[in-house]
Amino acid sequence: MAQIFGPGADTVARGVLAGIAAAPFAFVAFCYALASSPHVTDEGVTVTQPVPFSHEHHVGGLGIDCRFCHNGVETSPVAAVPPTETCMNCHSQIWTHAAMLEPVRQSLASGDPIHWRQVNRLPDYVYFDHSVHIAKGVGCTTCHGEVERMPLMRQSAPLTMQWCLDCHRNPAPNLRDLGEVFATDWRAPADQDERGKRLMVEYHIHVDNLTDCSVCHR
Amino acid sequence: MTAKLALSRRKALELLAAQTALLVAGCSRPREEIVPYVRMPERMVPGVPLQFATTLDLGGYGRGVVVSSIEGRPIKIEGNPMHPASLGATDAFAEAEIFSLYDPDRSQAVRRSGEIGNWAAFLDALQPRLLELAPTQGEGLRLLTGPIGSPTLMRQIMALRQRFPRLGWHRHDPLEDQAAREGARMAFDRPVTALPRLADADVVVSLDADPLGAGPLQIINARGFAANRQARRGAEKIGRLYAVESAPTLTGANADHRLALPPGDIASVAIAIARALGAALPEAALSPEAAGFASELARDLTAHEGRALVLAGPTLAPDVHALCCWVNAQLRAPIDYFEPDDRAQPSSLADLVRDCAAGKVESLLILGCNPGYDAPPNLRFHEAIRNVDFRAHLGCCFDETAALCEWHIPQSHILESWSDLVAPDGAASLVQPLIEPLYDTRTAHEVLAALDGSVASARDLVRDTWKASAPAGDFEDWWRRSLHDGIIAGSVGKPVSGLSPKLPQLKSRPADKLTVVLRPDPCVYDGSFANNAWLQELPKPLTKEVWGNSIGIAAPDAAGLGIVDGDVLRLTANGRSVEAPIRIGSGHAPGVLSLALGYGRTAAGRVGTGVGANAYLLRADASWAIGGVVATPTGERRPLVSTQKHFSLDGEASELFPTFTLEQFRASQGNAKEAQLPSFFSPPAGSGARWGMVIDTTLCIGCNACVVACQSENNSPVIGPEEIAAGRDMHWLRIDAYQIGSSESPRTGFQPVPCMHCETAPCEPVCPTGASVHDSEGLNVQVYNRCIGTRFCEANCPYKVRRFNFFGYADGQEYRDLGADVMRAHNNPDVTVRARGVMEKCTYCVQRISRARHAADKEDRLISDGEVVTACQSACPTRAISFGDLSRSEASVSALGKQPQHYSLLRHLDTKPRTTYLAQVRDINPRLEGKTG
Amino acid sequence: MSLAIATESVAESEEEPLVPPSATDASITALIADPLLVRGAGRSWWIATAIAAALTLVTIIAIWRLLAEGIGLLGNNTTVVWGVPIANYVWWIGIGNAGTLISALLLLTRQRWRASINRFAEGMTLFAVSIAGLFPILHLGRPEYFYWLAPYPNTMTLWPQWRSALVWDFWAIVSYLLFSIVFFYVGLVPDLATLRDRSKSLRTRRIYGAFALGWRGSARQWRLHQALYSTMAALAVPLVCSVHSIVGLDFAASLMPGWQETIFPPYFVVGAMFSGFAMVVLLAAAMRWGFGFQQIVTVRHFEAMALIILASSLIMTLSYSTEWFSGWYSGKAAERGEIAFAFTGSYAPLFWAQLFCNCAAPQILCWPRMRRSLTALVLVSLAILVGMWLERILIIWNTLSHGFLPSMRHLFLPTLEDGLLVIAPLGFFAMLFLIFVRVLPAISMHEMRQLLHERTRP
Repeated sequence: MAQIFGPGADTVARGVLAGIAAAPFAFVAFCYALASSPHVTDEGVTVTQPVPFSHEHHVGGLGIDCRFCHNGVETSPVAAVPPTETCMNCHSQIWTHAAMLEPVRQSLASGDPIHWRQVNRLPDYVYFDHSVHIAKGVGCTTCHGEVERMPLMRQSAPLTMQWCLDCHRNPAPNLRDLGEVFATDWRAPADQDERGKRLMVEYHIHVDNLTDCSVCHR
Repeated sequence: MTAKLALSRRKALELLAAQTALLVAGCSRPREEIVPYVRMPERMVPGVPLQFATTLDLGGYGRGVVVSSIEGRPIKIEGNPMHPASLGATDAFAEAEIFSLYDPDRSQAVRRSGEIGNWAAFLDALQPRLLELAPTQGEGLRLLTGPIGSPTLMRQIMALRQRFPRLGWHRHDPLEDQAAREGARMAFDRPVTALPRLADADVVVSLDADPLGAGPLQIINARGFAANRQARRGAEKIGRLYAVESAPTLTGANADHRLALPPGDIASVAIAIARALGAALPEAALSPEAAGFASELARDLTAHEGRALVLAGPTLAPDVHALCCWVNAQLRAPIDYFEPDDRAQPSSLADLVRDCAAGKVESLLILGCNPGYDAPPNLRFHEAIRNVDFRAHLGCCFDETAALCEWHIPQSHILESWSDLVAPDGAASLVQPLIEPLYDTRTAHEVLAALDGSVASARDLVRDTWKASAPAGDFEDWWRRSLHDGIIAGSVGKPVSGLSPKLPQLKSRPADKLTVVLRPDPCVYDGSFANNAWLQELPKPLTKEVWGNSIGIAAPDAAGLGIVDGDVLRLTANGRSVEAPIRIGSGHAPGVLSLALGYGRTAAGRVGTGVGANAYLLRADASWAIGGVVATPTGERRPLVSTQKHFSLDGEASELFPTFTLEQFRASQGNAKEAQLPSFFSPPAGSGARWGMVIDTTLCIGCNACVVACQSENNSPVIGPEEIAAGRDMHWLRIDAYQIGSSESPRTGFQPVPCMHCETAPCEPVCPTGASVHDSEGLNVQVYNRCIGTRFCEANCPYKVRRFNFFGYADGQEYRDLGADVMRAHNNPDVTVRARGVMEKCTYCVQRISRARHAADKEDRLISDGEVVTACQSACPTRAISFGDLSRSEASVSALGKQPQHYSLLRHLDTKPRTTYLAQVRDINPRLEGKTG
Repeated sequence: MSLAIATESVAESEEEPLVPPSATDASITALIADPLLVRGAGRSWWIATAIAAALTLVTIIAIWRLLAEGIGLLGNNTTVVWGVPIANYVWWIGIGNAGTLISALLLLTRQRWRASINRFAEGMTLFAVSIAGLFPILHLGRPEYFYWLAPYPNTMTLWPQWRSALVWDFWAIVSYLLFSIVFFYVGLVPDLATLRDRSKSLRTRRIYGAFALGWRGSARQWRLHQALYSTMAALAVPLVCSVHSIVGLDFAASLMPGWQETIFPPYFVVGAMFSGFAMVVLLAAAMRWGFGFQQIVTVRHFEAMALIILASSLIMTLSYSTEWFSGWYSGKAAERGEIAFAFTGSYAPLFWAQLFCNCAAPQILCWPRMRRSLTALVLVSLAILVGMWLERILIIWNTLSHGFLPSMRHLFLPTLEDGLLVIAPLGFFAMLFLIFVRVLPAISMHEMRQLLHERTRP
């Protein structure tokens, strides 16, 4: 009776069996890698805008304070993207005819708002409050990165729940004196460890309830 | 169901689209846009709600409210503590106005005989008429309005009278209590309206009146009632409420003693009381039981002279009302009488109809009332109005009356309007718009102005009114303060004094075999709220019925007719008949049927049209009790849709709603039975606050304000009658009604049931994904985005307080037109709109807690007691709900927890609820004990 | 204990052979293999398959509707949040238990009559368990996230909530399914080799050959095979018991009256075996008739199974009464009320039907003649299958619709979708089984030969 399989058949069979065993683990690993990759988190993705507003120029170059435009950040959950008139406060004086500012002038003239494209997005079921983070000494750049070096805005943190929790479990490394919250060039000083500990006490930050679901989700 | 089918296709396409999107674009999401203002409105901070005081209208009276608006959208209505008719609380109607504002069925354009027109065209049509009218002094020009509570509107009408002296003004209020009006005239020879001060009355006798029922006085009366229901160790103040009524009302449900009698006999009870007070009247026949009850009432009333009160209801005849005025005078009862503002002497709808029929009317303007639906049929309004050749109607929706008119002008919602309103005690307050009119709408002021040939804006008209009466000084300051406070300082009316009622001559009436008693509906009121889905789906306080009305009938009568719950009964009176399913309700007097007004609308909108039966059809004039009714079963069945089916608490179940007599309350030594049970569970960990709620069932009158408040605050969807019939509902807070005591005259107890936030919550260990978890402040939180919908939590919840989105009730499968884009605007942005397949429940308004916490954190302080007020708590007219931090001994909740009648629901299960109750304490009259439950 | 009874009875009727005296290795093998390799499918097979396929289609439509529209299509409501899918799940997993139980337990207890039924019983297990596995997913509000029950690394640093019986369930089903597949396959290998060697066309030989994993039937292979197979059997028994115990815990690990009972796990296991054997009887009868297996699936087999069914029925009856007693003895109003509601409440007719099917009907098997009458046995089995489904649905309906607060008492109103989910999957099951008997030997050839061998040896 003729052979129905070639000599390699055994090896193939072993391979297949091994594959079946390995597949689930490989699959999970792949998914995890994908979920934490920029493809999903958008970390580091630069977004083009209707007006090529440069934080590098305005913040890094001119040294304008964050609150000049994002004036809700200390009082409101949302930092607020400034209304057109805020732009025009200055640009009615300087660069009045710059082509790149045409949409801004248009907006003010026509009353139609500028449609900016969102850069840092949290899911709708996450209720993030800027003001309380500011009040507790978490600086802008801690989450938004070195905006003073961004010609166009990009998301500089993964913004995954894991990333949020890392800080909510141990805020100390990211706490600043209130004076430094808006400093865009802030770097953790050498003594950040005991600084952090001290500030935790000063700001009355209790880690035990910082990881409650209800802190961010309702 | 068709909607569903349509949806399934859409859903399928969505799925397909989503799938392909995933295939091509991997996991990348479409970018969302941020659209900032061009010019930032002053004082607005994006993301922070603003509060504005304004006033809402009900039956021509104002209720002051504070409206929260976020980024220009009004989203929540709460009471205005400075307003005498609100006292910081609301009622179901006030809460639901938000939903009416965004109602997609609102009329959006001027219409001429059905065709879309515009305001200019209307003015063009109006001008020539005005010119014709000028020489004739307005002969044939008529105005038909609802009850008017706006001084500005009144001023405008007067001004119009200047221009057209012959102008006729007719006022039509379907819920007007004419008997009371005439009774007062009979007793005092002048029209006065009575405003009882329940707070000052230790003994209140309600003769078929419903002071605690739906209406403009509900909040005031409820607060007054609550003032005499303070069961607090040491500081107790408990009065007594007797109700003699023909059919169940909220007042009867909350009475300490209740007797069901047909209206005729109730009049006899009034006579018996009057006789006991020395009135020279012929004795009226009464059954021994009723007679005994009456004499006891008289005894208790006289014993509390000066703090005793008798209230007569609309079903009683004018002379009986007059008699009660006399009785109250003898008792020196705490009642204020006010002079109604009838400077413009309105005449009635009947007059209008007569003149129309006689062809005396050429032009008719109908402002904001709906006689096409609620006019008494015997007037034949429909036929008569056809003789008028210029008919214009101003209304919020294209309703029955609009259909009868050539012109229809869309009316601005009150949250879009400038106006002013007067409270029952005469206190005036301003109405200011929260939002630009969503559509091209007008207010009554603007229409009247147009009639006057001017084009003044409503705002200016209101300011003109008050410039006259405002105190000397800077008007702008005064104006701004009045707007800010929501009340005009020093505008409270002065009660009429020195009234001496005279004893009326009583007509004797034949007793009717079968009487139908009409009531304003606790949910849709006179029918004007019929298209408000929140109110349609609001369970009626006593029957828990939703989406319709039914005929209440006493068990023996039903047996006599051989019918059971759900059988359709045809009622015939005054040559017209109405068909509705019956509901056997204990507490109906023999021979008395009850039916709620406000249903059977034919042009309410996509939600309210065709729901229930129109009880107005039975009416002759504005009668409330209709005698000589013929009732015939049709053999048809219409299952009753209600959210609660079992009302009796038998045997062991009675521990769910314990009741104390005043003596037991005084005698009980602390709450010994609240001693800790042995438990396997370790005490809750976590520093910080321990949130808890205490609900006083002595105070809860079951008015439903809290239920709607919760729905409004927490974006709870409406699911429609089919779903409710299937046993589903989405209210986070329900009010369980239980009948205690004998089955023929039971007492009703109301038990609001939100989530118990158990410290050892049974829902938590069973959730496979940890979507139901505790937070460190003791909240039992539901993480919607982690929920996969196993429903194990609800299966294991002994209180059944969790609600499940079986369909996308708020997520693409909305009921009828509630998915319209404009509807989304009513949502509270601080609360997630739940998706299909997700479990949800009461959160103790966690969004309010976290707002308070952030505020406190930013100022580096602790949250103070009373800083967090839940939606239900802020709505409650009797202040039955307290909320706070149990870890603070000074907090009100901690104090209430020490009351002797404090208990927790199903505590033997050792769930350690954070929501606890105060048992019902009632001041039973020992002489009547046993006789009437 | 049930097995003890069975053993004796089989011992008694020793004169009655499990295989025909005339049978030889060749004849047995041919009898079983030929339907697959030589003879084509008969008309009856095609008719049956057509019907089953139609029902399968219905199943798919029902499921699609459920996914597209939402589970609001079911009769579940705020009070009775669980319903038909859960009952189906428990019922199917119960059916699924019997197969492995029969193979493993009967192998360990040396029940020789097992040889001719264990193969298709295991097949039944696989299909039943896979169908059972569908229902917990279908009953979810958001079925697309069912995998959140599995622990896997994620960017939310979240894990399942280990205290929940549903998570244990997830593991029970998955592990049981995987194990059953392997156990089934291991038992199948020698027969696959036989088919490989007997089949004519190269294609079929290659396919069977591939799955036969180069089985040559050498003494060494047989030794290893026996070792592995009996080891797995030993593992299987506790697994089988654990699966349905955990299903029982889905209810017992709660505080609802009528659920919170320690008796649930054991009596769910017995219940599973009960309904499982009923299903085996049906399938055995069907195949016996369909393939003419009269000589190898004998009346003795049925008698043995009848005894097991009878015994389980007695145990079930005992469990029920224990449940009622402990409910009454607890003295809790809720518990007593729930039992009263079961006997007299809205679902009383169903409840009495359940008691008739599970407790009364099987008693006719006390009668030897009934045990040997196929018709009687089949009828009883049908009754049991219905009765056990009723038991599962009533556990849910009675408890949930009669909870602690009278205000929240609502009944469950079944919908069309509920009906479809009950009926249609039976067709899906039937189709899987029909295909199975056409491509794999429905009776273990090598074990039959072994039986033959043992008989012929003095």
